[in-house]
Amino acid sequence: MSGAAGAATPARRRLPRTLVIGLVIVGVIALLAALGPWIAPHDPDAFAMRMRLRPPSLARPFGTDEFGRDVFSRVLAGAHYSLLMGFGATAISLAIGVPLGLLAALHRGWVEEVIMRGVDLMISLPPVLLGLLILAVTEPGLFKTILAVGLVYVPIMTRLARAVALELLAENFVEAARARGEGAWHILAREIMPNAWPPLIVETALRITFAILLGSALSFLGLGPQPPASEWGLMIAESRPFIAEAPWIGLAPGLCLCLLLIAVNVAGEGLRDLLDPRLRGRGHG
Amino acid sequence: MADAPPLLDVRGLSLGYATARGTVRALDGVTLAIRRGAAMGLVGESGSGKSSVVLALLGLLGKEAALAADRLDFAGEDLRVAAPRLRGLRIGTVFQDPAAALNPALRIGLQVAEPLVQHRGLSARAAHGRAVELLAEMGIPRAAAVAQAYPHQLSGGMKQRAVIATALACEPELLLLDEPTTALDVTVEAQILDLLERLRAERGVSMLLVSHNLGIVDRLCDGLTVLYAGRVVESGATEALLAAPRHPYTRGLLAALPRADRGRIGRLAPIPGSLPDLTRPDPGCNFRPRCPFAAAGCEAPQALHPLDARHVACHRAEMLHDAAWPAPDAAAADRVPLGGTLLEVADLARGFRLGRGLFRRQAEVRAVDGVSFSLRRGEVLGLVGESGCGKSTLGRLVLRLIAADRGSIRFDGSPVPAMPPDGFRRRAQIVFQNPDTSLNPRQTVDVALRRPLERFGLAHGAAATREVERLLDLVRLTPAYRPRYPHQMSGGEKQRIGIARALASRPDFLVCDEAVSALDVSVQAAVLNLLEDLRDTLGVAYLFISHDIGVVSHIADRIAVMYRGAIVEEGPAAAVLAPPYHPYTGALLSAVPVVGARGRAAARTRLKGDVSSAPTEGGCRFAHRCPAERGTVCRTQAPPVQQAGPGHAIACHIPVAELARAPAALAVAE
Repeated sequence: MSGAAGAATPARRRLPRTLVIGLVIVGVIALLAALGPWIAPHDPDAFAMRMRLRPPSLARPFGTDEFGRDVFSRVLAGAHYSLLMGFGATAISLAIGVPLGLLAALHRGWVEEVIMRGVDLMISLPPVLLGLLILAVTEPGLFKTILAVGLVYVPIMTRLARAVALELLAENFVEAARARGEGAWHILAREIMPNAWPPLIVETALRITFAILLGSALSFLGLGPQPPASEWGLMIAESRPFIAEAPWIGLAPGLCLCLLLIAVNVAGEGLRDLLDPRLRGRGHG
Repeated sequence: MADAPPLLDVRGLSLGYATARGTVRALDGVTLAIRRGAAMGLVGESGSGKSSVVLALLGLLGKEAALAADRLDFAGEDLRVAAPRLRGLRIGTVFQDPAAALNPALRIGLQVAEPLVQHRGLSARAAHGRAVELLAEMGIPRAAAVAQAYPHQLSGGMKQRAVIATALACEPELLLLDEPTTALDVTVEAQILDLLERLRAERGVSMLLVSHNLGIVDRLCDGLTVLYAGRVVESGATEALLAAPRHPYTRGLLAALPRADRGRIGRLAPIPGSLPDLTRPDPGCNFRPRCPFAAAGCEAPQALHPLDARHVACHRAEMLHDAAWPAPDAAAADRVPLGGTLLEVADLARGFRLGRGLFRRQAEVRAVDGVSFSLRRGEVLGLVGESGCGKSTLGRLVLRLIAADRGSIRFDGSPVPAMPPDGFRRRAQIVFQNPDTSLNPRQTVDVALRRPLERFGLAHGAAATREVERLLDLVRLTPAYRPRYPHQMSGGEKQRIGIARALASRPDFLVCDEAVSALDVSVQAAVLNLLEDLRDTLGVAYLFISHDIGVVSHIADRIAVMYRGAIVEEGPAAAVLAPPYHPYTGALLSAVPVVGARGRAAARTRLKGDVSSAPTEGGCRFAHRCPAERGTVCRTQAPPVQQAGPGHAIACHIPVAELARAPAALAVAE
């Protein structure tokens, strides 16, 4: 029965457990990433040829790589790349995609046609290929990767923002605003956005995972931060020749990437439970 | 007859739903019996638990429902055990929305045949043959072709016929009808009610008809059970019960009902208050807080006891026999006399292209096709017609909320351009049908009501706060509502906020688009009274759009009848509700289910098909459905507009004198 939903205000609703768990893990990873340079037990870039390919031990929990660098220190130092790529790229796609989507919803006609057909064109290209196209023409680097990943996800945010806005524009309260002669800006800011941001923010949270993954994939292909940076995707790429004799070199960043992705996704699911009333009451299984 | 065991025997049926707030007592000791061949009506407002009864009988309640009953028998079998075996076989069911009841991906014939294969073990071929027969029996023309069609290819009425055919496939002894016509237009509803009536007479199938509409129950049922907040308050023979209700709630329901056959009665009597909290059921009479006759003894449990050939759950029912239902509060003031012309609409038209886009083929539907009318200050023009006739589009065109293809609008003497100035926006406002979507869910009442004041520079700061409180008072709500969000209010309260918001800018003209259609009768009466008061005291003019002719005949000074984009008849309310009228008006009126009008069957006019049936280019747009169609003239020439009386115009080829001989569809009490 949904009768109870009417009694609770959003503020008093209990936070979903998934949101709390996800946020705690993401928070810990973010904290470690921020403190990385200070708490790393070794210099992540210091070669130690005598210590090559040592398996994990108490002193070196993730072992060492082919140059004797401490993998744990490197993973720690590389954490900020994934976080920056995930959140930064999503922020870019949000900042460009949402205004475009709202514009398309408000100006039906040729403006909408131009925007949406452009979006169709971008969506029809595989994301990695699109990222490659953007990156291939210039020198690779962290911020270019972030920009590329962000641009890849612009069409998806545009489509979502347009769909949400179109749905809301058909509501009677928007019609009432138009009957008052309200301008487009007021309708957008006061009537549409307060109702549109919950689904947008939920989608954004779930998009972060894809952005992290795509960023790492591009790095893996050598189109992200350049060596000796310890970006996780790049680390996995560099570990490939040693996968049989020293699997820990690739496994450590891989598992960390996995943990981060799961945590972000779980937090996103929790956020959806919290904000999306259509799914409320179905329980979060 | 009376001694034979009833087909359906329900005694002491109780039902609790576990929710976050505690157990909701949806049903509380419901007792109900249906004889073989009888039809029982189960009426009540939303939240009364009437649909829960149907689900309980079918054994379709969810896990969270706790069911208890002294007896729940169907033909001697306990439904708690036997329901899964009996439903579909010996108990057929028809739900409200035929579009939701049919699987969109399967052909109609297959769906009608399915229970025959499932329960009767017929071969697919035999079942299909039987399905076609059943469809034909339901009055579906070209049944064999319809059996091959998919649901989306059929109109709403045809879909509901197919659903009824499915329910009847295994020749059940009992048919459960849960609001079977609520989703349909009134002329189609009349066809379905005719069908059900015929099926009952021919097949002797028993029926349990769940409805909020007393008129429908009166048409179809010989027994009536009235539910209030999960309890039976009165049950007995329909005719006697509706003629002289004895329980205060039943009396209140009838007093609150606007009735097309009564024309303009002075004022409706709303039932004050709202449904009790079902998580804490009152051991005594649960209608007590809203009952004008409440007295000592009402706090004791009320048992159903026999009285005047019926059962009533009110210990004062006998005592109150002669006590009159309290007269509604008097109108707020004498009505402001009608002023000069406020709104003049000429030749307004708007088409919609179907299949929008660069590469798609485009077809056009003329939603509004050359409509003209005028409205005086303080006047109410009722606009009636079936869904899809363009009445809502017209309401929005008049407010310039959607762009017109052609036509002109003059408001208070000056033309209204396509992008109207703030002055027009301030003076012309709109009230919507659905209280759930008419308010922004993220805005408090205060924000919603303050905005129009600030927008038009009428009040700011503390003055605006006072004005918001005045508006709340105007719609009979207290200042305590200011910080509330829409989800913290009931439907009736939300609708009042919607009205208050429209009134905030002190408009002269309101478009009421089905403004009371989503409300329960007792609440609807209060909102209608409120709209009348506002018209009377503030001199606001309304374009009152509604499919409910009872409501329109109650509030409107003049009525315009719309059919497929054009007004076919317009005139003073009393003149439109009596002959002479346009054949469409006649059919519309005779289709309205009216309480206490059983003898009306003789005067019934039934339309063929429904609004979406084949178009007629050039001729009268009603010709293909018209019961009085005159051949080629009607089909090829546009009908002339004839004057049938002062201010009464009918667009029809048939001379007025002849139209005047049509039987009166409603016995309008003068």
